[in-house]
Amino acid sequence: MRIVVGIKWVPNTQAVRFDPKTGTLIRTGVPAIVNPHDLPAAELALRLRDEYGGEVIVLTMAPPPAVQGLEHILGMGADKAVLLTDRAFAGADTLATSYVIAEGIRKIEREIGKVDLAVFGQETIDSSTAHIGAQVASWLGWPYIYYVKNAKMVNGALRVERQLENAVETFDVGLPAVVSVAMKALKARPVRLSHKLRVKLEKPIIVWSNKDLGLDPRCVGLKGSPTIVSKVTYLPEVPRRKIVYKPKDPRDAARWILAQLFQDEKTREALHKALWG
Amino acid sequence: MDGVPGKFDVVVVGAGPAGSAAAYLLAKAGFKVLILERGRGAGSKELFGGKVYAPPLRDVWPGLDKEAPIHRWVTRERISFVRGSRVATIEYSLGRRVGFTTYLPELAKWMSDKAVEAGAVLVDEVRVDEIVVRDGRIVGVRSGPDTVEADVVVDAEGVNRLLLERLGLVERLNPSYVALGVKEVLNVGKGTIEERFALPKGEGLAWMVAGDVTAGIPGGGFIYTMKDTIAIGLVLHIGKAMEKAEAGQINKHVSRILEEFRLHPYFKQFWKDADVMEYGAHMTIEGGLRMVPKRLYAPGLVIVGDAAGLLLNTGYTVRGVDFAVASGRIAAEAIIEAFNRGGPTEENLRLYEERLKESFVWRELVRHRWIGRGMEDECYFTSMPGVLIRILEKLYEADYEEPTLIDALLESLAEEDISLTKLIMKLGSVVSKL
Repeated sequence: MRIVVGIKWVPNTQAVRFDPKTGTLIRTGVPAIVNPHDLPAAELALRLRDEYGGEVIVLTMAPPPAVQGLEHILGMGADKAVLLTDRAFAGADTLATSYVIAEGIRKIEREIGKVDLAVFGQETIDSSTAHIGAQVASWLGWPYIYYVKNAKMVNGALRVERQLENAVETFDVGLPAVVSVAMKALKARPVRLSHKLRVKLEKPIIVWSNKDLGLDPRCVGLKGSPTIVSKVTYLPEVPRRKIVYKPKDPRDAARWILAQLFQDEKTREALHKALWG
Repeated sequence: MDGVPGKFDVVVVGAGPAGSAAAYLLAKAGFKVLILERGRGAGSKELFGGKVYAPPLRDVWPGLDKEAPIHRWVTRERISFVRGSRVATIEYSLGRRVGFTTYLPELAKWMSDKAVEAGAVLVDEVRVDEIVVRDGRIVGVRSGPDTVEADVVVDAEGVNRLLLERLGLVERLNPSYVALGVKEVLNVGKGTIEERFALPKGEGLAWMVAGDVTAGIPGGGFIYTMKDTIAIGLVLHIGKAMEKAEAGQINKHVSRILEEFRLHPYFKQFWKDADVMEYGAHMTIEGGLRMVPKRLYAPGLVIVGDAAGLLLNTGYTVRGVDFAVASGRIAAEAIIEAFNRGGPTEENLRLYEERLKESFVWRELVRHRWIGRGMEDECYFTSMPGVLIRILEKLYEADYEEPTLIDALLESLAEEDISLTKLIMKLGSVVSKL
């Protein structure tokens, strides 16, 4: 089984702050990480390989520093990595990105061998579109299942459990297919010394530019991106203040907190009556 | 346990200044070196106040001044004594460039890049769980299910030396030998440092603060000017803080104590309108020689840097990074020589300890060996600065009549509940120890 895992190299949004004047992210000096929601995807791919054999190829479209992210997944045990990098890819929206990723998978099929499954994370922490898995499936014409929590092979098909809010759906899907793994569905294994050492000694990362992919420059990067972000609204941080209100009668405390929560007096009194009689 | 393909001459545990210095020199000498680092990238787990002494680093990297991520050369040293809102400050303007300010993660990354350029292999995101002993000698390290073999292990694991503890070479960390460093990086905007601190362009300031900014816990405050930011922080004696907390004398989170320092009416003017960019904490050594393991080598092992207890905090200077680098260099030289003499046997690795003990690092630690213990005497941190401030208050804040110096001294001593004999004894003991 040959499985491709797509990852994104993202700024650690926990360390990113907003510039209140411009409404944009301040990314300078912010360490980048592998999109955390991609780690369960990598874990699923590795589990399937461990179970059924084959190889896991981790794939990303990013500037060269993303090699660190690929090394992380290789450190978890992926077999190969492909970095799709080119100045022409910069400024891509999800359409242009998914096109390059899909073409990357096609090139993997031409150069390395048939791909059975492409696995993505649910969404990214820096843009939360959840588009890439679905769009890659569209480009490739493969079936797509998302919110996946687990998968196994049954009679030559992939049996996929799909996590919904209060139900689990089970699908059997023929391969090749694309799945997106639900966030936090699986705990990612830690990086292993032996894998990481192999990365450093064997350097198993393949780098392809747009020349290698041979895509029309008008279809990639900013030029291939019809999405326009017209405006970003900054939600100012609400300053938090600890208030301790400690009346003798707890009913006064209830009345007080309802007054904080509900401006409308009628609602307030109705709630108070319901709660305290 | 799975063996890892390929054996190394040397495995260095920890890509901090000590580990990277040793790895760099060994790789340059043609050794096959593997550096293992727990953090993501070298330097990511580092934290210190802000100043490094350059000469011992130049011994290892002669191109330091040109290539390293130096923020500012320190040309001003200040020491302040604080009681409440009152502050007395001494400033010294240096004639030479001895120390510079930097972010340690940046500097450690640079050092590790040097080692990698020289041919060392760096593997990050990997925690070493155990130093592996076979037939009475160290043969490598284990991480999870993987073991990597080496002729020599350089233990540069840092202050919280769990590997050495597991190996039985050191005892469990004594809270009285360590302090907690907490630090904030304040963003003051590009190009404003010079104006705020009245500094010549590109030059820097190192500022130590003694007194009640530590909420009565032995320790002190620091302020360092970086390129476009200010690093401020506190070093708090952990053993004493625990005692005080248990006795109910203190009930404050360290972040609160640091915040009070940041909001101190005198100091806050220096970082007016600044944003807090980073908050961090790290353990540091206060024990002086007491933190040094009984022996710094074993068959197939040498111990360097913080793990070897090589840090000196005199109260007016802190020497850690330069000691670490020097110990890494001495370890590398000793390992090279040990191989020339037939291998890294216990006998041959003893060279490391011998040479370290002949070096400036050891002489400094021995010379200042009483300071660590002095750190435990609270009067140096609370009543002594208090006496000084009270004297100045009486001299400078009198309405009509100011007291004589001796009256001011005697009154201040009485107010701080210190007798003249005690003062003389304390000062005498400080002078004799220095």
